Amino acid sequence: MRKKLQKQIDRLMVAGASSVDARWYPVEETSQLLMWNGNLKNASSSRESGVGVRVLYKGAWGFSASSNTDNLQALFDKALDNARVAAKRVTFPVRLAGKVPIRASFTSPNRIDPFAVPLAEKIAFMKELDGQLNRTGVTQRICELIFMRKQIVYLDSEESEIEKNIIEVFPTIQVMGVDAQGESHSRKFSPSLTGATRGWETLDPHLFSENAARIVREMNEVLVADVCPKDERSVILLPGIMYLQTHETIGHALELDRILGYELAYAGGSFVKLSDFGELRYGSSKLTARANATLPNSPGSFGFDDDGVPAQDNVLIDKGLLVGAITGRQMVEEANDRIGKKIFSGSSGANRATAFYRVPIERMTNINIDPGSDGSLAEIVKNTEKGIILDGDKSWSIGSNREQFHFATDIGWLVKDGKVTRVVKNSTYKGETVKFYNSLSAVGNKSTWEVRSVDNCGKGQPNQIMQLGHGVPVCRFDNVTIGE
Amino acid sequence: MKEQILQVLRDLRIYALSKNVEATFFYHEEESCLMRFANSAISLNTNEHLIRLEITAYDKSKHASYEMITDLNKLAEMKQGVDIAAEMVKHVQPLNYQPTVPVYPETFIDESVFDAALAGIASDERLEYFNQAVAGLETDEIKLSGIFSSGVNTTAQINTRSEHLQYFKSTDAQISIVLSHITLKWEVIAEQSAQKKTDLNPFAVRRDLTFLLERYRHDAPQQLPLGRYDIVFGSAAIGDLLTMMNYIGFSGGSMKRGFSFIAGDQVGRKVFSNKFNLTDDPTRPETFPFQRDQMGISRKPFPIFLNGIFNSFTWLQDDADEFGASPTGHTVMHKSLVLGGGDKEAATLEELVNLPRENDLLYIPFLHYMNIVNPSKGLITASSRFGALLLKKDGSVAVPYNVRITQSLLDIFGDRLAWLSRPLVVNNTSMSYGARNPTAIVLPAFLQVNDLEISHSNSTY
Repeated sequence: MRKKLQKQIDRLMVAGASSVDARWYPVEETSQLLMWNGNLKNASSSRESGVGVRVLYKGAWGFSASSNTDNLQALFDKALDNARVAAKRVTFPVRLAGKVPIRASFTSPNRIDPFAVPLAEKIAFMKELDGQLNRTGVTQRICELIFMRKQIVYLDSEESEIEKNIIEVFPTIQVMGVDAQGESHSRKFSPSLTGATRGWETLDPHLFSENAARIVREMNEVLVADVCPKDERSVILLPGIMYLQTHETIGHALELDRILGYELAYAGGSFVKLSDFGELRYGSSKLTARANATLPNSPGSFGFDDDGVPAQDNVLIDKGLLVGAITGRQMVEEANDRIGKKIFSGSSGANRATAFYRVPIERMTNINIDPGSDGSLAEIVKNTEKGIILDGDKSWSIGSNREQFHFATDIGWLVKDGKVTRVVKNSTYKGETVKFYNSLSAVGNKSTWEVRSVDNCGKGQPNQIMQLGHGVPVCRFDNVTIGE
Repeated sequence: MKEQILQVLRDLRIYALSKNVEATFFYHEEESCLMRFANSAISLNTNEHLIRLEITAYDKSKHASYEMITDLNKLAEMKQGVDIAAEMVKHVQPLNYQPTVPVYPETFIDESVFDAALAGIASDERLEYFNQAVAGLETDEIKLSGIFSSGVNTTAQINTRSEHLQYFKSTDAQISIVLSHITLKWEVIAEQSAQKKTDLNPFAVRRDLTFLLERYRHDAPQQLPLGRYDIVFGSAAIGDLLTMMNYIGFSGGSMKRGFSFIAGDQVGRKVFSNKFNLTDDPTRPETFPFQRDQMGISRKPFPIFLNGIFNSFTWLQDDADEFGASPTGHTVMHKSLVLGGGDKEAATLEELVNLPRENDLLYIPFLHYMNIVNPSKGLITASSRFGALLLKKDGSVAVPYNVRITQSLLDIFGDRLAWLSRPLVVNNTSMSYGARNPTAIVLPAFLQVNDLEISHSNSTY
């Protein structure tokens, strides 16, 4: 198959293409188990294979994909035809940043292949957890396990040949209950990624048992809690919401294709301008953010992106100053050209596609906040006069340029004079992105830092769902509006 | 092709029966084309031809599913899928209710919403549509973005309980055209939905864009003071609100799981304004309808709200099985929602702007990134986007920066609902996640809600 693909790539280059690549997925498998109130509502598996072809012709992309690999010539010709039509409307001819051809492979670190674990064993794991969640106050119990396996072979006209074998595991447990006013509340748990691997072995029964008891207890506290006050105070975001804050207002805002206007027709742009790099005080000096695709255990680490560029660890925001973006090969060249200077030195290795039938676009890797020097959660609380601790990603909504946001969380704990006073329900907070990050007044140390995985980040048209990660500490922001 | 699809399904049924496997088969084929524009260029021109087959095996109160992307000529691979699903179902645990396996009383073939001309539309024609829609509107600073998504969607079903099949084939197109200022960052949009090629009208899109551009190019934007406004929502915003209501409002399963703002005892009671009439109407071709659901239930117009009174929850078969409810024919990939019109003669933005008005009106055509803050209260939050206008009572028009609303659907469609347009339009609500599933809602071009609070007001775009 590889030889057949390379032959077609060579043929299109002779036909006038300036770049051709093919991604062959010999196999992609997903397995999903959903147990709801003890009922195994969903036990499903899926399998797919196919080839996606990307052709650059006279500065324009064409793409074609099919699960039928019997007629590769027609598939490649279709991609070239699509590029030929696209070349009729070009304003900035696509150029690709340089790279070194790579012949290599990447295998995600796993000790136990989840697809080798018997279905009955997986269900027994869920049944045990469901029993532990079945406690007073709980009206809905949800256990979900998602497993993914991808084998991807990448070849291009620059003599790269890369094989990736990636396994991911996404477990979640959740409880819901109804308060005296008839309103539903929930609490959930997805483990942070602590080990060096990402297979079935990461599902630690003791960890899940501890957290099953915790989320039931906390949800019951929410059910009898007062409503979150509406005022202005410090918010202390635990990793269970800080990851999403980072995702929406740093990650998506710093995708270079979004900054350049390539997502305007759909989920919107970014308030960030090219002239902001090296100039914009994105946050306080306590904020250092990076795109690190080299963490061993996270779905944001994949060895090589779908441009064939190696995974990297790049600083995005350095002590509050905006310095970097999430990039692939194409956008780097266009951005440098548009601003008339070299603000990006090359691809940051972040161009990925969700499946063989989708085209690669700029995607987050692991968008992390570096741990700080403000101690543990207890120490941050101790140094907070009037605040609220928030956790749980109940709701998120972002302005069309990521310039403002509104988040609702599963739980809040009010803080007064350095002490936690009581739990509140229906906790929300909102803000303007740059003002918010410049109010960052405390960043927790390594003890508060957790890597959270995301299995469902949507972007692009046709839409693509991507898996990635966020390593974040506890963070405190001042003068934030809550309770709306 | 149709006969080949049906024959493959018949062969799979025979194979499953020969293995004593109780099974349902769901076939989905899409031929999708998407031309995407950005920065006034074609940023992507793509084709995908994908065939998905989902096999669900049943064993008394157990079920398990296996889905594959495959080809019609790979019958052996599909039969392996039957074996895999059959093996899976052995190991899953029983449900505490009995899932219903469909029995189709007759073979049902529906190609009434397939249009060969739209199916055959070429890349060059899509490009020409865009060129006509934005002719003369682009400048060095005003750039074009958007999509022209079109395709053919074929679904077919069979099961081991009967030899009959169901087969649906449709065509669809979804067009969004955005013009945005590269430094000022404002954006205006016009959209169109098509079920057949003759629905395509680039000049109507151009009319809307031209009207908005006149305001956005020449009027200085302003930050609106926080407070309460009379708001006119455009069709895309209304479509988003109804889509959300479909999820946290009248879904029986959501209600039973505590994820709805409508309680079980509210059937027959007034929930919304008496101006609010919502029907699931599979007779409307603009909605890419299914006249039978996946259980074989014949689908007829189904009133959900009549004069604001809640008529019925809609039930998926699985939810009905679990909660002991009667199925309502809503085990479908999408409903065919139709929101009835009112008495206001406003079909276009120009007509809206020219309506006499007693108060300032905030026009919000599009709600960006809507999410649920509190499902039990129907509380949602979203920002305005794409061409909001402040229609002042003196007849003038101003351009506002975007604002955020955090409001309950009960308030939006309740007694504050002032009027709805009489003319109905089609809002294409298709998402391009996963398998192609064209959806659209028929709804009034505009509706006005009085006295809604804006909770955030941008000082820039």
